[in-house]
Amino acid sequence: MFEALIDGLFLVLQWKAFTLMLVGMGLGFMVGLLPGIGGPATLALMLPFVFKMSPAEAFAFLLGMHAVAATTGDITSVLFGVPGEGLSAAVVVDGHPMAKRGEAGRALGAALMSSLLGAVIGAVALALAIPIVRPLVLTFGSPELFMLSVLGISCITSLSGLGARGQIRGFSMGLLGLLFSTIGQERQAGSLRFDMGLMYLWDGLDLVPVLVGIFAIPEIVDLAVRGTAIAGERPPEELQHGVLEGIKDTFRHFWLVFRCSIIGVFVGIMPGAGGGVAQWMAYAHSVQSARDATDRERFGKGDIRGVLGPGAANNSKEGGELIPTVAFGVPGSGAMAILLGAFMIMGLLPGPDMLTKHLAVTYSMVWTLVIANVIAVILCLFVLNQLAKVTYINGGLIIPIVLLLVFVGSYTANGQIADLIVTFLFGLLGYFMVLLGWPRPPFVLGFVLGKLIETYLFISVSRYGFSWLAHPIVILLIMLTALVIAYPFIQEYRQRARGPVHVREPQSNDA
Amino acid sequence: MRKGRILFSLFLIAVAAYAVRSAWGWTFKAGLFPLAVSIPLIVLAAAQLLLDLFGKTETATGPSVDLEFGADVPLEIARRRVTNVLLWIGGFILLVFLLGFPGAVPVFMLSYLGLQSRAGWWQSIGITVAAWGFFYIVFQRVIRMQFEAGLLQSWLGL
Repeated sequence: MFEALIDGLFLVLQWKAFTLMLVGMGLGFMVGLLPGIGGPATLALMLPFVFKMSPAEAFAFLLGMHAVAATTGDITSVLFGVPGEGLSAAVVVDGHPMAKRGEAGRALGAALMSSLLGAVIGAVALALAIPIVRPLVLTFGSPELFMLSVLGISCITSLSGLGARGQIRGFSMGLLGLLFSTIGQERQAGSLRFDMGLMYLWDGLDLVPVLVGIFAIPEIVDLAVRGTAIAGERPPEELQHGVLEGIKDTFRHFWLVFRCSIIGVFVGIMPGAGGGVAQWMAYAHSVQSARDATDRERFGKGDIRGVLGPGAANNSKEGGELIPTVAFGVPGSGAMAILLGAFMIMGLLPGPDMLTKHLAVTYSMVWTLVIANVIAVILCLFVLNQLAKVTYINGGLIIPIVLLLVFVGSYTANGQIADLIVTFLFGLLGYFMVLLGWPRPPFVLGFVLGKLIETYLFISVSRYGFSWLAHPIVILLIMLTALVIAYPFIQEYRQRARGPVHVREPQSNDA
Repeated sequence: MRKGRILFSLFLIAVAAYAVRSAWGWTFKAGLFPLAVSIPLIVLAAAQLLLDLFGKTETATGPSVDLEFGADVPLEIARRRVTNVLLWIGGFILLVFLLGFPGAVPVFMLSYLGLQSRAGWWQSIGITVAAWGFFYIVFQRVIRMQFEAGLLQSWLGL
C-alpha cells in the first residue's frame, strides 16, 4: 500500500501529468470565478480531450480542474455575493458581509486556507477509507438517505431563524424551497406539476438561475442603494494583514474546520446527497457551534466561522465523493458521474480492480487533490490582495459588470431568455426575503434537496411500506433531527437559566 | 416593515393554497409530496401572520441568520434607487430579448455607466470595450456558448 502511495505521487509528478494538471487548474480557476458555469459542466466539456492521455494524466487534468473550481468559486461569493459555483452559496452568507465591512482580504484568506485544509482532509479520508467504506455505503439505503436529507434541511432551518418567530420563518422558507423543487415533471409517474402551461417548466426550475438570482440580485440592489463601493466608505484595510488574519483564523478555529471537513467527507461519500448539502450542513454546524443565542446572532452579519465551515466542507467533499465512485462505480455527484465517464474512456473499471491492480492510479487522484489545492491556494494568496481591492471600486462601475456575469451565468442553465426572467423573479423574492427578515439558506437547501427527498421517500414507501421508520439508522437520524430542531430552544433555555453572558469577539474565539 | 411582513405571509399562504388546490386533483404519487409540504407551509405562514397582526413587536436585533441591508440611506432615496436598479435589470433582460446577448452587452454597459453611474464617457467606453472583449473571448470563443439571436435580428433576418 505504501509503495502504491509513492507510485501514485510519482505518477502525478511526471512532467506531462503535472503540466496537464496545471492546465486543468488554469481552466478550473477561470470556471470557478464565472458564476453559474459549474465544475461539472466544464468536466463534461473537457472529457473528449482525455482520449489520448494515460489514466494518471487524465485524472491529473480533470481532478486538477475540478478541485480548483471548487476553491476559487468562493472568491466571487465573498467579493460580490454571487456564488461562483452553483453549490458554493453558503460562503456568501457570511463572506460577503465581511467584504462589505472592509474585510474582504480576511474572508478570502480564511476561505482559501480552510478550502486547502478541507481538501487535504478529504484526500486523506479518501486514502484511508477506501478499504473500509464498503459496509458504510451499503448500510445507507433510500430510507437512511431520506432521513439524512431531512436532517440536513432541519439543521439549517432550525439554526437560521432567531427566536420563536425566526424558527417559524426558517421552517416556512425550507418548505417553500421544497415546494418550488416540485415544479416540473414528477419522476415517478411522469405527470406535470405546476407547469402553468409553460414548456420551460417541464424540466423544473434549474438550480443556477434560482441560486444566482436569490443571492446576487439582493446584493446588487443593496450596492445600488448604498451608492458606495462594496466595502462602503471605510478606509481600505491593510490587505496583506487581512489575508494573513484570515489564514490565522483558520488555525484559530482549526477544530471547527476539521469537523466541517469531516461533514463534507461524510456527505460526499453518500451517493446522491450532493455538494450543496455538505456546504449547508457545515454552515449549520458552524452556527451550532456558537456558544449561545447572542453569539449565534453574529452569523449572517460577517462571522469568520460562517466562512471557514462551508469553505472546508466544499473541498473535503471532493475526496468523499471519490470514495464510492472509485470503490463501487457509484458516483456521489454529477461531477463524479462525468468522471466515471473518464474511467470508461481510460478502460478502467471502478471497483475492486481500482483497489488492487490500479491502486497507484487511485492514489494519484489523492495526490492530485492535495497538490492542485496547495498550488492553487499559494497562487491565490499572491493575487488576493489585488482581488480584494475590487471591493473599494465605486459600486456604480461594478454593478453592470456583475449583472453581466450574473445573467450570462444564469443563461448557461438552459440557454433561454426564460432563465433570465427566472433569475430576476427569484432575485425579487430574495430581495424581499432579506428586507423582511425571512432567511434564504433554508429556502436554498430545500430547493436543492427537494427532488432527492421526494425520490427517497417514494422508494422507501414503495419498498418497505412504513416499516422503514423502524430501521435502526433511521431511528437514530430521527432522534438527531429532533435534537437539532430542539437545540436552539435548549440553548436559549440554558442561557436564560444562566443569566446574561459576556460574549467575546469572534476573532478570538476558539470554536 | 410590519405591513411588508404581513403581505409576505399572505403571499406564502396564497402560493401554498394554490399548490394544495392543484395537488388535490393529482394522482397519489404526484400529489403526496406537494401536499405534505404545502399544508404545513400554510399553517406556519398563518401562524406568522397572526403573530405579526396580534403579537408583540419583535425586539430581536436580527430576525434571521442572513444578510441584512445597510440602512444609512433615507427611505425615500432608498426606494428610488431600488426602483431604478430593478428597472435597469428589467431593461437589460429586455435588451437581451431584443438584441441577443452579444448586442445587449455593449448597449447596456455603455448606457448604465454613462447615464446611471455618471462615469465619464471615456471611462464608460473603456469599461464597455473591456467587458465586451471579455464576454466575446471567454463566452463566445473559449467556452463557445450558443446565444439566441434577438427578436430584432430575427425580424431583420440578420
